[in-house]
Formats: sequence, C-alpha cells, structure tokens
Amino acid sequence: MDGSGDNNGDLGYQNRAESVMNCPSSGMNTNPFYASAWDPVVSLSQPGNFVGSSTGSQSEFSNSPFPIVMENPGISNTCHLVRYPSDSGFIELVPKFPGFGSGNFSEIVGSLGLTECSQIVNAGCPPNYKEANNESTSHGAQRQEDHQLSEETTIGALPNGKRRRRAAESNSPFDPNKNAEGEFQKYPSGESSDSAKELDEKKQKIEQNRGANSCGKQVVKQTKDNPQSREAPKENYIHVRARRGQATNSHSLAERVRREKISERMRMLQELVPGCNKITGKAVMLDEIINYVQSLQQQVEFLSMKLATVNPELYNDVERIQSKDILHSRGGNEAIRGLSPGTNSHQYSHGTFQPGIPVIPNPNPHFSPAHHAILDNELQSFFQMGFDSSSAIDSLGPNGHLKPEL
Amino acid sequence: MTTKHVIATAHTRSIKNRFARRFLRSLLKMKRSNRLGTGFQSNEDIRKRNTQRIKTAADRSMARVVGPRKIWSRALLFKLRNRARIQVGLRNRCLVSKKKKVQRKEKKVQVISREPNRADNLRKLVPGGDSMDICSLLEETAHYIKCLATQVKVMQSIADLYST
Repeated sequence: MDGSGDNNGDLGYQNRAESVMNCPSSGMNTNPFYASAWDPVVSLSQPGNFVGSSTGSQSEFSNSPFPIVMENPGISNTCHLVRYPSDSGFIELVPKFPGFGSGNFSEIVGSLGLTECSQIVNAGCPPNYKEANNESTSHGAQRQEDHQLSEETTIGALPNGKRRRRAAESNSPFDPNKNAEGEFQKYPSGESSDSAKELDEKKQKIEQNRGANSCGKQVVKQTKDNPQSREAPKENYIHVRARRGQATNSHSLAERVRREKISERMRMLQELVPGCNKITGKAVMLDEIINYVQSLQQQVEFLSMKLATVNPELYNDVERIQSKDILHSRGGNEAIRGLSPGTNSHQYSHGTFQPGIPVIPNPNPHFSPAHHAILDNELQSFFQMGFDSSSAIDSLGPNGHLKPEL
Repeated sequence: MTTKHVIATAHTRSIKNRFARRFLRSLLKMKRSNRLGTGFQSNEDIRKRNTQRIKTAADRSMARVVGPRKIWSRALLFKLRNRARIQVGLRNRCLVSKKKKVQRKEKKVQVISREPNRADNLRKLVPGGDSMDICSLLEETAHYIKCLATQVKVMQSIADLYST
C-alpha cells in the first residue's frame, strides 16, 4: 500500500506519509497498530489524526513518512505495510507490528532518528514494533525488518539512544518472509533477545518516544495475534507510550497517566452532577461538585427534620411495614394484615387503593415503578395504612403535627 | 462508560431498596426507644433530638448498606460509632462526676499534610476524605454522590407520604 491510500486526516508531515491505516485490506481504518487495549489510556485516534502535534494522534503510524514496502501478501489481512515516505525531517513512527495485525512497518526514519515508543503492553502482549530508525529511505525494504525487531524494544523501555543504535544495527534484514506469515511478533532472534532482556530488566517499561513520537499509544493486545512473539514475559505493569510532541521523561509519562486517570474520574463525576455538561475545567468542576455534595447533605438534614416532625405517625406505619417486610420478604405484593393496633387492617393488594382515601399522591415519584417493587409496596402500604387509620391522621392534623408522645 | 452506567444504576437500585429497608427498621427502633424515653423535654427538644437521630440513622444505614468496601463508608461508620461511644460515655459519667470529661480522640488513620489545595473543601465534605489522594478522592466522591442521592430520594418519598 502505497501512500496513495487514504491519507488520514492531515498528516502533519509532508503528506507522503502513508499511514498504516491505509491498509484497506485490513479493513480497519484505524491504525492497525492500535490495540484496543490501550483504551483507558489512550483513545486511539482515527487514522487521520496524525498531526504532528501531540495528543492523541495515535495514528502515529500513519504519520510516518516512510515509504513502506509491503511485501508480504500474507499480511494482507492485517495492516499491511504502510508506506512511509521517509523524510528525514519526519519523526519516525514506531513501526507497529503485526502485533497489531498491521503489516510491517517501515521503520521510522527521519532526522529525528529513532523513536522509541513505549508500548503499552498488557500482560505480555508483545508490542511488535520496531523502532525504525532509518536513516535513509533507501532502506525501505529493510526497514520492515527493522521494525520487526523493534518489537522487543517496544516492550521495554529502552533509552532512545539505545534503541536507536540497536535499530540501526538491526537493520539487518529480517526475513521479510516472516512478515509474510504475519508473524511480526517474532523478533528476529538477535534483536529480540537483546531487547527482551533489557525490557525485562526494567521495572516499568516506559518507552519514551523521542520527541514527537507519534507512536502514541500502542496497546498491544495482539497477544492473540502474535502467539509466537516471544516477547518479554508477561508483565503486569502498564506500558505507556509517549505521544508525539510530548515529553518523554519517565516522570512525565507517569504524570500523564495519572492526569488521565484524574480526568477520567472527573468525567464520571460530570455525569453524576446535574448541569455540568458544559463545564470544562477541573477547577470549576470541582467547585460544582462541592456545591452539589453540600446541597445533598443539606437536603438530607432537612428531610430528616421533616421526618422528625411527622414521626409519630411514621412509627405506626413503620411497624406495619416492617412486619409486612417480614411476612412478604421480597417482591411479593401481598395484602397487608393490619398489624398495628391503630390501623384498620385492610387487605389490599399492591396496586389498589382504598376508594375512600383522599388524595394519595403517587408515593414513588422518585422511583421508577418498574424497579422498586418492594419499595413501592412498602410505600403504598404506608399510604394505605396511613389513610386507613384516618383517626390517627386526624389527630395529627393537616400536616401531622407532632403529638407530644405517641 | 455505558456499561459502567448500567452497572451503576443496577447497583443503585438495589442500594435504594436495601437502604429503605434498613432505614425503616431503624426508625422503628427509634420509635420504641422514644416510647421509653424521656417525657421531660419540650417538644422542640424532642424534635431536635429526633432530627439528629433520624439523620444518623439514615447515615448509618446507608453506610451499612454500602459496606466496608468503600473508604467513605468505613470512615462514616467509624465516626458514628465514636460519636455514639462518646455520648454514651458522657451520659454515664456526667452524673457521676462532672469534672472528668471523657474525651475520646478520634484517630485519624493517616494524617497527610498537603499544601492547601482546591480539593480541600471536598475532603471535608466526603467522610474520610482527609486520607485520600486526589484520584481516589474523586472516585469516592462519585460513589458518595450516588448514595447521597439515593438517600435523599428515599427519605423524600417517605416524607411525602406523610406530608399530605
């Protein structure tokens, strides 16, 4: 696939970059490199997003301006090689690999040298990506192979420098045929072993992309796809890949993860607090949340005061309701026996009200009737009992004035 | 998020029911204790006392329903228990000696000193919020809001029954 395919969005680069996503055969428009596993951390952007700027352009791959040589027909189902125009100025994208189902990636070449993308690996999905540092586009063909090797590198957090060198060295071709089989995950023995080891050593593999590494997040969930990758052992930590244009310190990466966690929680809160759809910004949102919590707490206090004034009557019914509970356990709408001495015992079924009862507002305005059968029962029993024993009510007066003692 | 939302709603529904049950039970208990209780107080005092009791009953039943799974519910139960102990202690002792004051210091599980932060107010509102980092504070707040809203709904409907 040549770059001729759809260029996703605007590529920040010279437009030659063909993203992997352009592999029509893969059927996925998005970068094949993106693994779904990345979800929580990265929202895979559409292939088009490539923009040189950071953020989310997950489609880093697409950005790679390298020409990718797709040679293996076998890979067709997955992302095929993307041709990346190799521009010196371009930051290489991490070649993603078959792990993603994508074809071979061309290595990333560019003036930037190599990009190390940290991969997000979940439990041992080996990220197959190669760091391709290809100095020259001429190595296009080789690039693919290079990529393969990057798989292992991706796994671990290798310093950029290291990677680069390794990648450069590893330009030795991997057998393109391997790619054909679609097993990109396999790393060429030499490289993978090295990288794997390094990777293993690191506790937390965070690969830093060099500067604008558009590799973005690659979640490699492709374990299934790449059974053979003998990637680094399954590790439980999360690999984070720096996005393009973002700092690649391990600290900053960790901070980024933390920040994203926080913003995800804020979004959750935004859904809970009514009327916060338009608010953007943590500070304002926090204030809103504080106000809402305060108002809820005040409401509870107010309601408890209200209940305290109505209490005596409540007590009667509570008894009945309690007994009703005991009798009927769950889900049963059964007639309530009059248990409380003050109330007339009426048998009533769940849905019926006494005809003579004065206005009985729907007891459950707040509940969805379908869902709270039991509660409805109880509340309705409240009604009925409350109103059945009209004498009790009368004594209370219109608003249930508190009797001194009941 | 949709799945989460669905789960959350299902969860809330059962919380609602369970809370309602427990709350009613506690009201019943209160009634009984009221009967035995004091007749010396004025109506106002009685009302105030009942208000306080109802509120703590509601809080306690909500915290019980949630269980020890959440930080805020644990902290809330802890606080309520301590308060009850202090009160009981005071009651038992005030007659004996007024000089001795039983002071029970609430232990803070963790005391984390931070720079004044915007979220400090939130920490004060959410029970147990002092010892949480921002990330878990937000998570706990979300759950707390859900449960508070449930509480309000249940109490509102009970109050509605009697307010007509």
